[in-house]
Amino acid sequence: MSGFLDSIRCGDCECNVDWGEKRNTIASVAAGVLFFTGWWIIIDAAVKYPDQDNFNHAYHACGVIATVAFLMINAVSNGQVRGDSYSEGCLGQTGARVWLFIGFMLAFGSLIASMWILFGGFVVPQKAVVYPGIAVFFQNAFIFFGGLVFKFGRTEDLWQ
Amino acid sequence: MAGIKALISLSFGGAIGLMFLMLGCALPEYDQYWPLFVLFFYILSPIPYCISRRVVDDTDAASNACKELSLFLTTGIVVSAFGLPIIFARAQVIAWGACALVVTGNVVIFATILGFFLVFGSNDDFSWQQW
Repeated sequence: MSGFLDSIRCGDCECNVDWGEKRNTIASVAAGVLFFTGWWIIIDAAVKYPDQDNFNHAYHACGVIATVAFLMINAVSNGQVRGDSYSEGCLGQTGARVWLFIGFMLAFGSLIASMWILFGGFVVPQKAVVYPGIAVFFQNAFIFFGGLVFKFGRTEDLWQ
Repeated sequence: MAGIKALISLSFGGAIGLMFLMLGCALPEYDQYWPLFVLFFYILSPIPYCISRRVVDDTDAASNACKELSLFLTTGIVVSAFGLPIIFARAQVIAWGACALVVTGNVVIFATILGFFLVFGSNDDFSWQQW
């Protein structure tokens, strides 16, 4: 019984993990947390205020477009836009640029629309319950930033 | 191949996590079985990573879009497993105490699944017969 704690070594972990190598992992996880938290916020608002008067169901379109924009932005790699990937893909370099352009326009548009919904639909008419408007805004903000983190937080260098 | 001790401690962790989940459902003051839906997320969570490991052959590339997509989806499944009991509690379908027990169970189960992949996942000679 004596000395049974002798073999425990604290602080012995060789934590020489290379954070540069983990950048893609961290960016993917952070983007996942942001994107899905955005969707769960709107699910929460829809569960709390299911009727049309408190939360007009048309406002869901904003988050859907933001998700489509996320998928469009992340469907093309930076290499395809620059033109230095091995295969041309279905659309070629110009097509990839147009696709990315439309994707970013939809992303910015849905972010602006969510702010418009919050102020035009909830704050200005001084509705009794403002939480659905805040939820729409935060959903779209989280999806937008999740998309940015997933697109630009990862590096495409094959050799580092 | 890591030994029997790791396997037993991981299975213990799994049992404790499921115990927390069942406590959150079955205690007499809660008696609501809605939180069992998180079992769906527990089962889904290893699937994207396993698919990406099977599909992609190069294990030494620093960047790998398929692996990152699978990590993104796995994170989403984990977030959803936490979001669901919180939304149940906010909608007063379950009590907040039950929500706390289910969230604790989630933490333990996902730590167990992560531990499983860390201990048994990294093989230098990836042999297909293991599955």
